[in-house]
Amino acid sequence: MDSITTAASVVAAGLAVGLGAIGPGIGQGTAAGGAVEGIARQPEAEGKIRGTLLLSFAFMESLTIYGLVVALVLLFANPFAG
Amino acid sequence: MLASPLLQPEIDPPKGGQGGLETAVESSQNTELSMDPDSSTEVSTTSDDEYAQLQRRFILATLAVSAFAVSVTALVFDLHIASSLLVGAVCGVLYLRLLARSVGKLGKASKSVSKIQLLVPVLLVLAVSRLPELELLPALFGFLLYKPAMILQVLLESRT
Repeated sequence: MDSITTAASVVAAGLAVGLGAIGPGIGQGTAAGGAVEGIARQPEAEGKIRGTLLLSFAFMESLTIYGLVVALVLLFANPFAG
Repeated sequence: MLASPLLQPEIDPPKGGQGGLETAVESSQNTELSMDPDSSTEVSTTSDDEYAQLQRRFILATLAVSAFAVSVTALVFDLHIASSLLVGAVCGVLYLRLLARSVGKLGKASKSVSKIQLLVPVLLVLAVSRLPELELLPALFGFLLYKPAMILQVLLESRT
């Protein structure tokens, strides 16, 4: 792998993780805050709120995982390496 | 002073204090405290059970969908790809378990969701890149099998 490809891959990996984590990070923070507030207001619905939170986290975090996988592929299994 | 006549009737007259308001607030706090422990513990136990059952249902649904996908892949493609899918699916179940645990701790032991579960896909991709027996794409598809399983589970629950 030549030096330009290596440098571009490392920069792209960083961008993929960094930019991919912004949206889910904000979303997860908002969702977690809302869920804790909801549990505090209505403790009897805690199980349902946690279930919904688990579901939404699983789907939100997969967006981060996509970026993470792209970054790891670029670093460890780069298809552009000659 | 305006509120005190409303709060006064069932309260003894204060002995040199500010008025009836303090006593009323104190007595209401005492009644809340005396009522709370049993009922709140009961509610918390019920919610914990409900959440534990939901976790179990999600994990069982993921295992069922994974077993189906692995068997179909083994029949349609070959065992090599099916084994990669199986490894990914096992990692997906582990990820879901760790995520459920960190969501369960939210608000009790920690204020934020821990990110320890993100190590699972990292280790999966690292293992796939190191081991020649494993393929990347089937392993990733296997890892993401928890999503259709959860959707299926929620759809089935909403129908019943």
